[in-house]
Amino acid sequence: MLKSKSIVRAYLLAVVCCLIGLSEGGTLVYAEGGGSSYNYSVWGDTVAAPSAYEAKLLLNGISLGVGAFNNPSDLHVTADNEIYVLDSGNNRIVVLDRQFQKTAIIDSFEHDGQSDTFLNPQGIFVTEQKHVLIADTGNKRVVHLDQNHKLVKIVDKPQSDLLRESFDFQPVRVVMDKAQRVYVMAVGVFDGLMEFSAEGAFTSFIGANRVMVDPVELFWKKLSTKAQRSQMIMFTPTEFTNLDINDEGFIYATSGEWGDNIRKLNAQGSDILRRTGYFNPQGDIRYTSASGPSRLIDIDVTDSEIYSVLDSKRGRIFTYNGDGHFMYVFGGLGNQLGKFNSPVAIERVGDDFLVLDKAFGEITVFQTTEYGRTLNEAVRSYYRGEEEKAFHLYEQTINMNANLDFAYSGIGKSILRQGDYEEAMRYFKQSLDQGNYSKAFLLYRKQVLREHFGTIMTVVIGLVAVFLLVRIYRRMLNRKRGVSVE
Amino acid sequence: MNREILKYPFYLIMHPFNGYWEMKYETSKKMNLILSFAILLLLVLTNVLGSQYSGFLVHIYNPAEMNSLMEVTYVIVPVLFWCVANWSLTTLMDGEGKFVEIFTSTCFALIPMVIINFPWIWLSNVISLQETTFYYFCNSFAVLWSMYLLFIGNMTVHQFTPSKTIGTIILTIVAIGFMAFICLLFFSLVQQMISFVTVIYQEITMRN
Repeated sequence: MLKSKSIVRAYLLAVVCCLIGLSEGGTLVYAEGGGSSYNYSVWGDTVAAPSAYEAKLLLNGISLGVGAFNNPSDLHVTADNEIYVLDSGNNRIVVLDRQFQKTAIIDSFEHDGQSDTFLNPQGIFVTEQKHVLIADTGNKRVVHLDQNHKLVKIVDKPQSDLLRESFDFQPVRVVMDKAQRVYVMAVGVFDGLMEFSAEGAFTSFIGANRVMVDPVELFWKKLSTKAQRSQMIMFTPTEFTNLDINDEGFIYATSGEWGDNIRKLNAQGSDILRRTGYFNPQGDIRYTSASGPSRLIDIDVTDSEIYSVLDSKRGRIFTYNGDGHFMYVFGGLGNQLGKFNSPVAIERVGDDFLVLDKAFGEITVFQTTEYGRTLNEAVRSYYRGEEEKAFHLYEQTINMNANLDFAYSGIGKSILRQGDYEEAMRYFKQSLDQGNYSKAFLLYRKQVLREHFGTIMTVVIGLVAVFLLVRIYRRMLNRKRGVSVE
Repeated sequence: MNREILKYPFYLIMHPFNGYWEMKYETSKKMNLILSFAILLLLVLTNVLGSQYSGFLVHIYNPAEMNSLMEVTYVIVPVLFWCVANWSLTTLMDGEGKFVEIFTSTCFALIPMVIINFPWIWLSNVISLQETTFYYFCNSFAVLWSMYLLFIGNMTVHQFTPSKTIGTIILTIVAIGFMAFICLLFFSLVQQMISFVTVIYQEITMRN
């Protein structure tokens, strides 16, 4: 008796151990490199992720042989990887090649037969034809130079009915689209971006941010007198903080801290950014109330609709794909290599990242890790529709980072095409992709019904027959007994 | 007899005026109470199973945050609050209903939420995204039906006119708000008192 009891106990113990093992194993996830970076899971939790980028090199004015940078404020990299550094404090532009060797310095240009210079310029943009646009903030103008750095035109303070008389034109960021229209972000302009025609004439504002109204504040405003109201802060839409243009001519802009702080503007100026990720692209989604949300101050768009934003509050660079899925994050504030003091601008050179630090006058060069390379390539092939390749690449990424939830959807799509509907459903469920799950499920349901059509129909007909027989039998019994029903 | 008891709830939801009248004046209180608790239990069961086994397309749930005990409180607490608030108000407003009657009428009104939602737990696993409309339609239908039954039940139990019933229901909801507030206040005060005592205890033990 005693013995059998102890055997039962031993079995129970074994079962309990197995159960514990199972439940532990179920939540175990694997992230290579000990999870030095992070990502957000489908539930919005912070989960470990391997780092996608690592700092490799630190460049400053002295190491480049051009003299120390003084408060550089913007960077631009052309399609053929020429790097333009806007050295605002020294009123010059330093041009570097892919190997980070100085090729030119632009510090003056010919203007009406005289040599003209910049004054504290804040923004730079270089077109495909290597035309250089400089937001010459101190001189209140936008300077347009051609590929030989000769003056093409100067955009001065515009004259328009849309503008106040006292309007002070201080351009800080500038981009040019393929039709040579110039878009300028200026200080103190709440109506959006200023659009100029190819000739330099002001046409209109586009993409104004909407006013965000705090209900409590609105209530107090309703109660207060006119004199009090004039003392209060006006409800003004947030200003843009930066902008970039992609190869299709869409402007990507960042603004402030709250609401949709990343936008993709079409020609009409409406926001067409896809926000189909697990949460809206906005930088950090988990933060303490003391530190507040990310403050985005720069954006960089690359091919395949991948874009990165720079958070000045925590010095991090967030990268999203075209669907709005969060790919990876790197950077931070600090004193080590790969951390910054006051990052102001980010740019991609190929797949490498350049981050410009204003206070230190340094550029940090980041290069992809194995993980970052695979993920970049996976997202690109998925964007191009090469599902087979994307499948293999996503599988590799997941082997390195099991927490990358949106990758499962990419794998699922490829499996769905191969015809394994049930497995595809499993993957879509993993990444909470209801739309694709439903597609796979419909196919799966059809398949199952087709396979088992014979069995199902037999059972149905059998049941109907049994039901009818029972009814007939009952009726006969009742008739025999002579009891009338109803 | 047994068969009658099982049929009675279904009769009530189809013929609420007669059903509630019978509940108040004819059927035995004990039987009604047993049925009420059974309905509550079934509703809890439906909710727990629903949160665990509903189809992925209609219900995304985080297994880390799933808690069956909370599902129990989500059913029991609102019903209790409703009954207590309603009873407190109607005794002042010349309602004829006793507390037991209010409780049983409330529980009987929840039947549609069990019999419609229960099959949908399983059905929701075999529908596509386009077909989820039916799921949401049925859910809303169940809720509306339950609200209708609650209204009729309240009216019959207290022998009120329809307009007075609507008035009482609105007041009951306000009263529920007050009760929730007082409960929160009570719990936070108790919590503070407990933490005060614990802190003093810690201080004293750390002193030497």
